[in-house]
Formats: sequence, C-alpha cells, structure tokens
Amino acid sequence: MANIAEQRIRREFKEVVKSDEVAACNIRVELVNDTYTHLRGEIMGPPDTPYEGGRFQLEIKIPETYPFNPPLVKFLTKIWHPNISSVTGAICLDILKDQWAAAMTLRTVLLSLQALLAAAEPDDPQDAVVAQQYKEHYEIFRRTALHWTSTFANGPKKDKDYDDKVTSLINMGFEEHKARVALSTNQWDLTRAAEYCLS
Amino acid sequence: MSQTDMKRQLSDPASDATDSEDMEEDDEYANYYYDNTDDLDIDKPKKTDDPEYFEYTILQTEDAERLLNEEVERLCSELKMSPSLAKMLLHVGQWQGEDIIERYQQDQRKLLTESNVSCPKEMKEDSLVGSSPGCPVCAECYPRDKFMGLTCGHLFCPHCWDMHFRFQIEQGITMGIECMGQKCKILVPEDFLYSVLKDSKLRDRFSKLCFMDLIKGHPKLRFCPGPNCSVIIHAKEPRAKKVECSVCKSTFCFRCGIEYHAPTDCDVIKKWLTKCADDSETANYISAHTKDCPSCHVCIEKSAGCNHMQCSKCKFDFCWMCLGDWKSHGSEYYECSRYKENPNIANESVLVQAREALKKYLFYFERWENHAKSLQLEEQTLQKITSRINVKVMENEGTWIDWQYLQNAAALLKKCRYTLQYTYPYAYYMDKGGRKQLFEYQQAQLEAEVENLSWKVERAEITHRGDLENQMDIAEKRRQTLLKDFLEV
Ligand SMILES: [Zn+2]
Ligand SMILES: [Zn+2]
Ligand SMILES: [Zn+2]
Ligand SMILES: [Zn+2]
Ligand SMILES: [Zn+2]
Ligand SMILES: [Zn+2]
Repeated sequence: MANIAEQRIRREFKEVVKSDEVAACNIRVELVNDTYTHLRGEIMGPPDTPYEGGRFQLEIKIPETYPFNPPLVKFLTKIWHPNISSVTGAICLDILKDQWAAAMTLRTVLLSLQALLAAAEPDDPQDAVVAQQYKEHYEIFRRTALHWTSTFANGPKKDKDYDDKVTSLINMGFEEHKARVALSTNQWDLTRAAEYCLS
Repeated sequence: MSQTDMKRQLSDPASDATDSEDMEEDDEYANYYYDNTDDLDIDKPKKTDDPEYFEYTILQTEDAERLLNEEVERLCSELKMSPSLAKMLLHVGQWQGEDIIERYQQDQRKLLTESNVSCPKEMKEDSLVGSSPGCPVCAECYPRDKFMGLTCGHLFCPHCWDMHFRFQIEQGITMGIECMGQKCKILVPEDFLYSVLKDSKLRDRFSKLCFMDLIKGHPKLRFCPGPNCSVIIHAKEPRAKKVECSVCKSTFCFRCGIEYHAPTDCDVIKKWLTKCADDSETANYISAHTKDCPSCHVCIEKSAGCNHMQCSKCKFDFCWMCLGDWKSHGSEYYECSRYKENPNIANESVLVQAREALKKYLFYFERWENHAKSLQLEEQTLQKITSRINVKVMENEGTWIDWQYLQNAAALLKKCRYTLQYTYPYAYYMDKGGRKQLFEYQQAQLEAEVENLSWKVERAEITHRGDLENQMDIAEKRRQTLLKDFLEV
C-alpha cells in the first residue's frame, strides 16, 4: 500500500475516533485487518427519518491512490433508500465519484452519507424501484424504509401490519427475504407480491 | 459525334453553375485526367446560394496550435493577463473572445469567479495551523513556505500537487483539473501545473491531452473523425454542414461529427439512430432481399439499387417498396413515400395507438433502410461501370474522358439518394400540417426522379447520353429545392 494512503488513514482514524462532533453524530470507523486497506464504518440513522435509531454498517475499501481517488464505500446493512441499492448496497453519491477532492476525509464521507439518509435525491437514483415509490407513494416508502430499518439495522420501531404481511407470505412457503422484497416492491399488496414471487 | 463535340459536352451539370475562382477551375480541369473514382465537382458545392455551401479549411496539428495561440494572445494583450489564464478563460467561455472581453470589462471579478479561475477574497481559506503545519492531504509536516495553492487559499505540499496532477492526467483530465480542497471548484491553470510537474513524459502527455481538450471545446474546430486521421477541420461558422476531409476522404457533419445527415438536423438524427438501434429486433424482419412479383408471383431478388423493378418473367413494372404498379409512381402522383396516418387515431384504444405507432415507425424505417441498401448496390453498379469503361478504352472505343459522364451520373445518383435516405427521419419527426405536406411533396418528387435516374444509370450504355444528362439535371434540381426549403441554415 502506498505510503501516503496509509499515513492519511492512520491520521484520519484518530480524527474519527477522537472527534466530539463525531461522537454526537454517532459515526464510527474500525479496522477489519491491520493493513488499513479495508475498514468498517458505521453510521446511526438520523433523527426524524425512517432510519432513526438504526445502525448501518458500511464496507470501506481504500484504493492505493487514496486520497487522490475516493474510497470505495457500500452499505453492508440492507437499506430501503432511493440512492442506495436495496440489493447490493451500492451508493450513488457525488463525492464518492467525480466530486471527490483529496482534502476530503472518511469523516466527510460518513457525515455525507448520514446527510443522504436525511435528504434523499430521488431524481438521481441508484435503486429505481425505491425512487419511484418515494415519488409516487411517499407514505408507503416511509413505512417500508422503517420496516427495513427495524429488520436489518436494529431499528426500534416496528410496523405490525407489514410484519404480518411478511409472515403470511412466509406461511405460503416463500423464503423470508424474497417475501419482503416482493411486498416492498409491490406496495405491500399481498396478491401481487405472491405473483411476483412466483414469476 | 466527333471528338470535339464530345469534349464540349463533357462539362458536367454541376460545374455549369459554378462561379468558382480560377484556381479551383484549374483543379477541376486537372481532375479530368486522373480522377476516375469520385467527381469532386459534384461533391463540393461552391455557389454561396447553394444550401449545402460550407466554408472550411483542413489544418494540420501545428496550424491548429498556431490558431489557438493567436486567439490566446489576442485576449492576453487585450486584457493584460497571463497566457495560461487567458487560455483557461477562452476554454471555459467556448472561445467567444469578444464576449469574454466585454464581460471582463463590465465586471472582472464576476467573470473570473463564474469561470472558476479565481476565488473572491472573502471566500479565501487558509487551512494551515502553526509554523510547520501538516499537509491536509498527506498529513506530512513542512515549513509553511513550502506549501502551494491557488487563489482560493487551499494550500498543499508540492508532492501532493504532483500526485494529484499525475492521477488527473492518467484519467484524461487536463483543462478541468480542480483544486484539491473540499468542494473547491477552482481550476488549475497550466502555468501552475508546469511549475509543479517535473516528469517530462507527463508534461508531454498533459500538453497533448490539453490540446485535444481545447480543440474539442472550440466550436469552430473539429478533429476529423476518420480512422487514423489527425487533421483538424476549421470552419468559418459552426454549422451542421457537410465536410469532406481531403486527407482521408471521410465525409461527416461538422457540428456533430457523425455521418452527414441533411435535411435532418443533429439532434433529430441522433434520436432516430438511437431509436433504430433500440428497435432493431422489431425491424429485423424487413431485411428481405427477395420478394414475389405482385403479378406472376415468381421470386425476385433485388440486385441493383433501383426501386423500379421489372419482373424478368412477366415484365410487370412494379415498386420494390410498396409492390404497387410502377405506373402509379409517375412523378405527379408519387404516393409511396408518404405515410397515411389514421385520422381518427386520438379516439382509438391504447393498443391500437401503439400498433399504429409501430406501423408508422416501420414505414419510415423500411424506406430509410432500403435507400441505404440501394446505395450499397449502386456502389457495385459504379464499379461495374468503371470496369466496363476500362474495357472500352482498352478496345479504343473512346477515351476515359469520353466516358466521364457515366461516372458523373453514378456519383450524382449517390449524392441524391443519400439525401433522399436522410429525408425519412426528418419526415418521421415532423408535425402534421402544411409544412409537412410541402416536405412530403418535395420528397416524393425527389424520390421519383432518383428512381428514374437510377433506372437510366443501370442502363447507361443504352440510354441516350443527352437523356441521361437531362435526368441528372432534374434530379439534382429536386434535391437542391428540397434542401433550400428545409435544411436549417
Ligand atoms: Zn501533502
Ligand atoms: Zn481550493
Ligand atoms: Zn480525415
Ligand atoms: Zn450533425
Ligand atoms: Zn412477374
Ligand atoms: Zn411504391
């Protein structure tokens, strides 16, 4: 690993661990191994959003050309958000692409991701299905995102109606995650979700 | 006919109308002696009232560099600034020198800020702390005076700037390299870059890429899109007109760089080509080379460009496109190119509307595609004509000059059919109304005369020469009329 990259990550590591601001916003970074090329991030879902109270794990890979090129970041925790793929966790965020600047840090990235959770940009989507739901059925989107937060990110709020629907599809013999995706994609319409699972 | 008579009639119909300069006339004259492939007179309109007339020159790399430098120097001396900054302003401002000077004189600060070349004073940031601060990028500590930066005040160590330039150049970015500061959009001028970057290979690469970037951003310059061709076209005006590269012979539209597409404009042809690519499967079944004779049902293969077919068995004359009697295609009542829309379509169901939309698209696509194929077939006809002329010349039946008119006819046919092909995307996207009716009328006229010309060219050796030349004249006039009315200039 290039010298600059490692030196930078070492310093940033301290920065994220120490910062008070960071503690308040609940962001965290930790090493996965001791080479500084592969990190694990965590952000807390921002208040007054369907992600509130959830803890979202991130995979952070540091390229050799860091910080001249951006880190490669994706969500490990499954999440329902227009700019994040519900399948792969890939993120659509400008500073992780062409708007990256060498003076940005992991802290900037984590805070930007937290801001993204608070303010989605459905017109520049990563997940077209979610983005469409966000625009056309916002209330269903909000409840779906909340349901995913409680299921995958340890979110505190449950939605009994949605949980029951998942259970009824499971009882029909469908696998749990497939059932959840089918319902989320089909505005929680049981019949259409069942057809979706079969097709 | 005596030899002198023949020579007198040799002048081709296109050059009759030219009022070109003496130099060009000399060139044309010279062409008669060696050019046996392409008639340059037909392909290069010279009259200024010709709708396809377009002034351009072919530049070598050095000429283009000189041209850019002249524009940069003009701005430098006018606004008293460094060449590096002037170049940046011109590039960002699409080389509108006059406009830049005016805006600079009105409000210098506003122009510089809007162009991202400098930062207003109150927004300056100094991120460094202490007498031996750490570089915000590499975290290494250096004495304060080692740090470098642009007008925004973001300071970094020279080593990091160097690395930054290296990675940006590797990604092909040159004129668009930005400061490394967070959310900072300030552009790096080349004198700053050169003061940091010492690697001579990279400096070289930067300068080459930079030149390409500048040319691509200049509205009056365009790289020839021909394969392995490095010349640059310099146009007087940035228009969607036809350019023929004198080096590699490729022809293209100056504005968008793809194949010339008059009368259709750049955006519409792009839309059309994308649609054709997307719908290629739907349209595939059309690509038939054989059809049955509508009269006696014998299978007929289309082996030449002309759409006026004659069944070899029953001698029925019919149209390849619509399989109708060719008699109904007599120029006045040519209906074959016009799509008849269902007048009641707005009240039909969604399904019927979708079917109608597909039908309409296929109608235009079929004609577009068919003309493209005819062009290929006529290319073969031209080769056959050339080799037959060769035989005749070898057998002392006249000279190359005597048979030149056949070549001219074939070249003109190609040009007319090419325009005809590109009338179909134009018509497809046209709104209903009087203008479309006029367009379709002229398109039908051109369609009829192109097929007449094609028919005669295929039978060139038995067609009376005067008759052929007359037909050439009519076809080209129809083409010019259509372009005059519909080519956006
Ligand atoms: Zn540095
Ligand atoms: Zn800056
Ligand atoms: Zn060329
Ligand atoms: Zn064009
Ligand atoms: Zn027949
Ligand atoms: Zn027809």
